[in-house]
Amino acid sequence: MNQYFLSLLTIASPLFFAVTALTSWFEQGLRPTLVKKMAVASTWISILVAAMSGFFVFEYGVLETPLIGIEGLGLSLRLDSVSILMFSMIALIGFIVVRFSLNYLDGDDRQGAFIGRLAATMASVQLLVLSGNLGILFLSWVLTSMSLHRLLIFYKERPGAIISARKKFILARLGDACLLAAAVLLYTQYETGNLEVIFNSLQAAISTGQTPAGIETIAGLLAGAALLKSAQFPTHGWLIEVMETPTPVSALLHAGLLNAGPFLIIRMAYVMDASTYASMVLIGIGGFTALFASVVFLTQTSVKTALAYSSIAHMGFSLMTCGLGAYAAAMLHLVAHSFYKAHSFLSSGSVIDLIRSAKVKSAKRIGSPIRIGLGILMGLGVYTGFAILWGVDPVKERSLLVIGAIIALGLSRLFTSALDSNGNVKLILRASLLSLLVTTAFFTLESGMHHLLSGELPALAIPRTMETILIGGILLIFGATVFIQIIAPVISATPFTRAWAIHLRNGLYVNTVFDRTVRSLYAHGTEPKPQVVESLEQISHQPTAEIKQPQVETV
Amino acid sequence: MKDINIATNQADILEKLNADQENLETILRKACKKIAPVWPLENFVAVNPFLGFTDKKFDSVAQELAAAGGIQMTLPTSFYLQKIKEGRIQTDDLATALKKRRIYTDAQEFIKGLENNPNNEEETTTFATVADIATQVTNKDWNRFIIGRISTWAASYFDNGQAIWSAADQKSGLFEAWKEEATVDRTPELSGLKGFRKLINALPDHPIEATQLALKKLGISEDEISLYLHRVLLRMGGWSAYAARLDWDSELYGGKDGKLIEFLAVLVCWEACLLESLNTPELSAKWKSARSMLTHVNVEKDLNQKLVNKLILQEAFDAAAQRDLVSKFQGEKKSAEKETEQAKAQAIFCIDVRSEVYRRNLELADSQIETLGFAGFFAFPIEYVPVGHDHGEAQCPVLLTTGPKIMEQLPDQDQNNAALNDRILNRHVHQVWKSFKSGAVTCFSFVSPMGLSYLPKLFTDAFGWTRPVPNPNTVGTKGEFSEKKGVSLATNKNDPALGISLDKQIEMAKNALKAMSLDSDFGKFVMIVGHGSTMVNNPHATGYDCGACGGHTGEANARVAAAVLNNPKVREALLEAKISIPSTTVFLACLHDTTTDEVSILNAADVPEDKTEELLDLKKSLAMAGKATRTERSLRLTSGNVPQSDKAMMARSKDWAQLRPEWGLAGCSAFVVAPRGRTKGIDLEGKSFLHSYEWRKDTEFSVLELIMTAPMVVTSWINLQYYGSTVDNKNFGSGNKTLHNVTAGVGVLEGYSGDLRVGLPLQSIHDGEKFQHDPLRLNVIIEAPIEAMNNILKKHKGVKDLCDNGWIYLMAMDNEGKVSHRYNGNLTWEEVHKNAA
Repeated sequence: MNQYFLSLLTIASPLFFAVTALTSWFEQGLRPTLVKKMAVASTWISILVAAMSGFFVFEYGVLETPLIGIEGLGLSLRLDSVSILMFSMIALIGFIVVRFSLNYLDGDDRQGAFIGRLAATMASVQLLVLSGNLGILFLSWVLTSMSLHRLLIFYKERPGAIISARKKFILARLGDACLLAAAVLLYTQYETGNLEVIFNSLQAAISTGQTPAGIETIAGLLAGAALLKSAQFPTHGWLIEVMETPTPVSALLHAGLLNAGPFLIIRMAYVMDASTYASMVLIGIGGFTALFASVVFLTQTSVKTALAYSSIAHMGFSLMTCGLGAYAAAMLHLVAHSFYKAHSFLSSGSVIDLIRSAKVKSAKRIGSPIRIGLGILMGLGVYTGFAILWGVDPVKERSLLVIGAIIALGLSRLFTSALDSNGNVKLILRASLLSLLVTTAFFTLESGMHHLLSGELPALAIPRTMETILIGGILLIFGATVFIQIIAPVISATPFTRAWAIHLRNGLYVNTVFDRTVRSLYAHGTEPKPQVVESLEQISHQPTAEIKQPQVETV
Repeated sequence: MKDINIATNQADILEKLNADQENLETILRKACKKIAPVWPLENFVAVNPFLGFTDKKFDSVAQELAAAGGIQMTLPTSFYLQKIKEGRIQTDDLATALKKRRIYTDAQEFIKGLENNPNNEEETTTFATVADIATQVTNKDWNRFIIGRISTWAASYFDNGQAIWSAADQKSGLFEAWKEEATVDRTPELSGLKGFRKLINALPDHPIEATQLALKKLGISEDEISLYLHRVLLRMGGWSAYAARLDWDSELYGGKDGKLIEFLAVLVCWEACLLESLNTPELSAKWKSARSMLTHVNVEKDLNQKLVNKLILQEAFDAAAQRDLVSKFQGEKKSAEKETEQAKAQAIFCIDVRSEVYRRNLELADSQIETLGFAGFFAFPIEYVPVGHDHGEAQCPVLLTTGPKIMEQLPDQDQNNAALNDRILNRHVHQVWKSFKSGAVTCFSFVSPMGLSYLPKLFTDAFGWTRPVPNPNTVGTKGEFSEKKGVSLATNKNDPALGISLDKQIEMAKNALKAMSLDSDFGKFVMIVGHGSTMVNNPHATGYDCGACGGHTGEANARVAAAVLNNPKVREALLEAKISIPSTTVFLACLHDTTTDEVSILNAADVPEDKTEELLDLKKSLAMAGKATRTERSLRLTSGNVPQSDKAMMARSKDWAQLRPEWGLAGCSAFVVAPRGRTKGIDLEGKSFLHSYEWRKDTEFSVLELIMTAPMVVTSWINLQYYGSTVDNKNFGSGNKTLHNVTAGVGVLEGYSGDLRVGLPLQSIHDGEKFQHDPLRLNVIIEAPIEAMNNILKKHKGVKDLCDNGWIYLMAMDNEGKVSHRYNGNLTWEEVHKNAA
């Protein structure tokens, strides 16, 4: 029982953050000494708790705290490799983001409120990933989006902030509805909110060859919640606009909250695995979003907007990977992306440094078909070599092979950029070393992650025929996209390509349509209307002249 | 230079016009001259935002800008009332300001009147554009929409390398490129502007013809046009300023303007198409009546009373600051004479206000060190080409064209080649890596295996142990490179611009020393101290390096100056000009880091061995002065009233979350042109530019002329940039740094969308509790005969305008080192009461 008591200690981390958030009510303003200290203390406690509970899970396996609730529904925490991995990641990113905000918002007359809201968001995300019961899972799911909303409208006088938060609000409620419906269905089916019990019953049912009743609906709803939470096409519009709030919020959002979608799918992997169509939806929408957003990223001229598109793409890729049943690979991508994106946002002020660095003589592309072909072959060669060395089974591990194929595409890009340029032999050598590094890292991390999470996730399934066809098609388009990029620098732009660049830069106008539906052009709250000269007295010396205010109804 | 050629080609488009169109072009050009240029952030330049207006009175410009762009030229009344309450503005100051305007209200009553009137702060009221009227009529914010659309397009067209796939044809003309985009972009139609693309398509291809047609559609008559054009330009003030900068560079090097005229065509066409597309009777009627307002008014004639009150308060605030400044000089007599013994060192600093603090502390650290002030390019306007770069950059004030091209290099040829190859190889690897990391689809193959490597980086960056991205000055080089690097003065037959020939070196050396009033009594060391800053993750970093010299540090200039002045052949030739530099004197190239106040000696290798001891002694004094300066500055860089520790001051330069690594030139409000003896021992609080000048040595007053036409103008640019960013940060500043979103590689947006932002961020002038820069116009004090100054003013209308129209205050210092006269406009002077304090 000792370990159960100890595992209860994990609650200390969200609790401290929650207390920090409460304290901020009394210290909302400029230079909040106490709130700052408490927030920093909370991040340290968080890291400590992460290390400690990681040790417990390593030592004792899955741990659950006793339920606080009724009828099997309520608050309980679940410590296993999936939740601890997410929890540790959030603890580390929380530490960085809170530390960053101390100096970054110094002098803001509402720094206390800001840090308080940051702490509240941290608390709810931590609860979400530790959830061991449907009750707390749903509750913290809603809480994350509510607390995030308060951060998004931190500068509530900004019309852009209001509009994007409003869009986010609408989508988040739709997502909540999906999750609620799924939770209710699961609860009625299994008469408990305990995830462990649900997972075990599911596994038992599947092993006897039954298809659990209503599983397609439940999985479909879960997929819907995940797609909505992670800003997947065509609901991504809000995410590209939320840089109307300080940079640390973007870092936390993109590294810690957007993940909730893929996390939900991984958490509910046993449910997803039992369904046929939900996975197809994830592969289809996730794959399309990944392609769409990573291409749109290329056309963006502002750093934070570009990063937002990149996040949308990576979430799409993670969801697609989930759809393939390669949950461990999805988890790896999720965690890796979080650290990468947190850094990208926090260092987004360094773009001018990069522009200045780019003044060193650049390599020019040659455009030789032989070199390009050779580059592609080298990329494929390195990948195949490693796959054989590592002993990847092409039949059983088909999903892994698919993800591997994307690595191979990346390697081809690396090699062609180096080979088909006027750089010297050293450049090709360095590129080769980098490609070895990438491949080694990929295979090592992939199998490491698989090993780490194997207890919590369904075994890698062999994709069904329909899935294989779908993913084959996606891979083909991915390959074509990479190939076009490889040859793009040597073909010249035409009005046709520019027109496509314009359409894509505008995100294919999906967001414009959404804007119109939420009436974003209409007046918002405190936004001042243009005051124009309507009589000459207004600008000459008539101090008492009344300025006629146009009657404006707010929406 | 690439930009300039394109600009020239584009300007040709503007030829071949009929008389009407030529007339229109002149009107457009005149409107465009009202927009001050903005430089890209990679080489930040402090620009006077009122550049096109200095030929008019400050007050009438305040009125005009308020009407045309809702621009404020003073802070709200409450700020000044607070200063009155604090005693900073005294009744006498206010009385002076009132008297100047021939208002005979008692100062006390004036204050009471303001205090009792809660309605002091009026909303800004501007002349209407179609977008304004449309916003009122349809209740949709068309202003925000249009700004968003044009800004998105402009970011593509002017993109300096942020987008990987460019959506604009940057080689085609500005107007042509916009038209191409506007006929493709579906956003306006999806947002409710019916048939918008068709309307654009029907416009003529020629920007002037299109403007002509658009103005006709808008029904703007000749009387209304100038105000209207100004109004639409100010609505997109940021990108307009960027286009103005391209014109500026083009004209500086003998090319033509035209970019901003084409941009203005875009703005006007948008208005016309908006009107046509919405096409409601209510809109047309309201627009017609709004338009008539443009005709009937002469904005310069009558000033709005509330505005007048604020201008009076501002003037009183200026008078109060001037009184404080003048009183500092009215104490006991200062000697302008120098010590007779040879100084241990003479240190020539930039006139930058940040040098003032350091100089004071250096003189305290060792009384045998003399300091001088001179423009931080040290009269060596070079084009500097760092190792591995294709093009050089102008290392001098933007008012000047560059002189010789200087290559950065390592003294050893083999090492130099190795460094060059290294740097280029690293650049190529970076390019290859980026194509993999940022490419569509391949970004996934980057993140899975490599994303985790950002975990340790997050921590090392957060603790300041590493930099988020490599330092652009040393990127791709090994550690020893920055220690060993130097400059090459060698000339080359194939490239006449490259290097400095001996004759040229002699000429430059002579001019520089004369201009510095340093032609005798050389110290054992002469330090030429350029300055730069150290900070990370700050898009505005180059502005801290130097907002006068195009965002470059003075390092290269100091190196070149020292190399030239250490050349024995140069020294020999200088003897003919009666400048005798002792053979034992060594010129040291130095760099003052204004963030950490460390001064490093860049050419220590040039110091002969027998002077090692003296050099050590000097280094000790520099370290002492640095520490004292940091302590003094820490009083201003507080966080919650606790002065920062020495360690914390240093840490700011490496903190990626620090938005106020230093205060830059915040507070700058005075410029003293006199021998250092006049200011020595006076605490000018790091708010004064200091230029060394001895008029007795300046027989023809040619040096004075140079000072009044160059450094004085540049300091007023800096001062007015701070002024503009403080009084109206929305229009002349770049807003909240926590929201900055670097765009097109040239500037920032505040948040997701909107216009390009110009000027300084709020965090650079405000500490959260109070302004760190008080809005004050520059007080220039020159020790020189009034007659000589008048002659120069007579000769240079631009400079006279600055002084006559209230953009700067000019004062004269007498033979006793006291401020004796104040310039009163129109070449007249009034005596300053000696007991003014």
